[in-house]
Amino acid sequence: MSLVFTAPPRRMGLRAILRVVGFAGLGAILVVVGLSNVLAYAPADAQNVGRALSPPSQVFPFGTDLFGRDVLSEVLHALAVTVGHATIAVVVTIVTGGILGFLAVRFPMRTGAVLRWIASVLGALPPLFLAILIIGLTSRGFAPEAAGLAAAPHAFLRAFDRARALARSRHAEFARATGIPVTTLMRRDLVYEIRDNFLSMAARSLAAVTITLATLSFFGFGASPPRRDLGLMIAAARESYFDAWWTAAFPALVLMLFILCARLAACLDEGEQP
Amino acid sequence: MVRFGLVETGRYAAALLGALLLAGLVQAAGAEGGFVHAAIVRLIALAHFDFGNSAMTGAPAWPEVLKRLPATFSLLGGGAAIALVLGLPLGLILSWGRALRAGAPLIQIVAAAPVFCAGLALLFLAHRANWDVSAKTGLGFWPSVFGGDVGGVARALTAFGLPALVVGAAGAATIQLAIRRAAKDAVREPYRETLRWMGLGAFEIDRRYIAPRVLAGLFANLGEVALSLFAATAVAEWVFGWPGAATLFIHSVALGDWDVAALVLLVFATLALTADFLGHMLARAMGDA
Repeated sequence: MSLVFTAPPRRMGLRAILRVVGFAGLGAILVVVGLSNVLAYAPADAQNVGRALSPPSQVFPFGTDLFGRDVLSEVLHALAVTVGHATIAVVVTIVTGGILGFLAVRFPMRTGAVLRWIASVLGALPPLFLAILIIGLTSRGFAPEAAGLAAAPHAFLRAFDRARALARSRHAEFARATGIPVTTLMRRDLVYEIRDNFLSMAARSLAAVTITLATLSFFGFGASPPRRDLGLMIAAARESYFDAWWTAAFPALVLMLFILCARLAACLDEGEQP
Repeated sequence: MVRFGLVETGRYAAALLGALLLAGLVQAAGAEGGFVHAAIVRLIALAHFDFGNSAMTGAPAWPEVLKRLPATFSLLGGGAAIALVLGLPLGLILSWGRALRAGAPLIQIVAAAPVFCAGLALLFLAHRANWDVSAKTGLGFWPSVFGGDVGGVARALTAFGLPALVVGAAGAATIQLAIRRAAKDAVREPYRETLRWMGLGAFEIDRRYIAPRVLAGLFANLGEVALSLFAATAVAEWVFGWPGAATLFIHSVALGDWDVAALVLLVFATLALTADFLGHMLARAMGDA
């Protein structure tokens, strides 16, 4: 038997279905976030709602934490913070990474090449390090923008390489030969780029920045109380989770679900880094 | 090959220069006086291999970082070994269509778990099993291995193995993907079918023609593998309390010790760029062979 089986090309149907599932999941999460204040049993950071460290029960399906906070309510509020921060970060990544990378190919005076060089140097660092550095140089309140900027170099490089292939394509040659201005061609390519790749790019960035934001908060560089996100909830649960697993497990599961939906929506390959 | 080597060397040198510039700018951010003046002064100093002093201890930054590197490299080494042991067979197995279809949902779910969540889960299991996971014990792993001390290895195994597993799992995901993609490209080559018509066995074709291409694909992604290992090492050091360079970086940034933070960044960037450069060169050499 051959080690590398000549697999039939994977049916696009499965990918498309998974993509729809991913977007549907993200949509459902958005609805939950929109209704978080209604769905939550207690307001954000409300202490002594129940007995400290109560295990999951009918009254508190996710249990309570060290300060008697309802973990389900806290998860809902933290999810809203995570989604809000991630949305800001995604916008930053798309603008400074995706769109800038796409346009940079056609910048004059080899500016694009210089920008690509800067992106490749920054891309040699783990995004987490870059985000921590930016927060260290600014402030913790800047965490969403920092996560977005940290994810931008990779988005820039991907968009730049796509745009360079387009700029060297036959349609670009024909356009140049027939006297169509560069700006018109660039506008046309950008419209197609946004139409074809925007959703994938946004979902991919969402997965990347959510991981970075949660890890930043876990390290103490991200969200700060009382506006806790899922990463900060997990970090706070470190004190108690050996004896009360639910304080860390439920926020972690919700975080994973959010990232999984973003990964599926982005059509990321199995095991691919976002 | 020579032209390719020259171009890649030029790119590598330019990227290293960029990393040095970045380190100089980070150091200048923490310096007193005007930023531009400080940046020029720091860049000149860096060119003379003067990496500045720690704002916390007043000692030169280089020995401070050097002191922490063994812990980081020991985790990275263990993680890389685990990544290879897990990633190589996984990549080959998943290149087989049916196995991939069966394993795909599981891999997607595992890949959705942030590294720190995986670390905390392992820490929880270790606590339940009463395993010693202190960094002090774990740091004794490699000395015991090289000293041939079997008892020492056994003692340090859980304390070293769990953080190394966190790092290795992250690396394995990247390795299996690189192998799978390379295998996917290789099996589409028309010569594979032609060789089969000529009477060569499937295993022989894979061994002689496909395996080098798959290996070249892995080498081409060496930079990405290194990057995922570094990122996971930073998280594993934090979760398991290892006194490594990544933890030093986090503390340095938190305390505004920019000379040390810049030096750690420079070390990590240099390692990632070097892995990427060597990977590309090896991939090209394998392709030409």
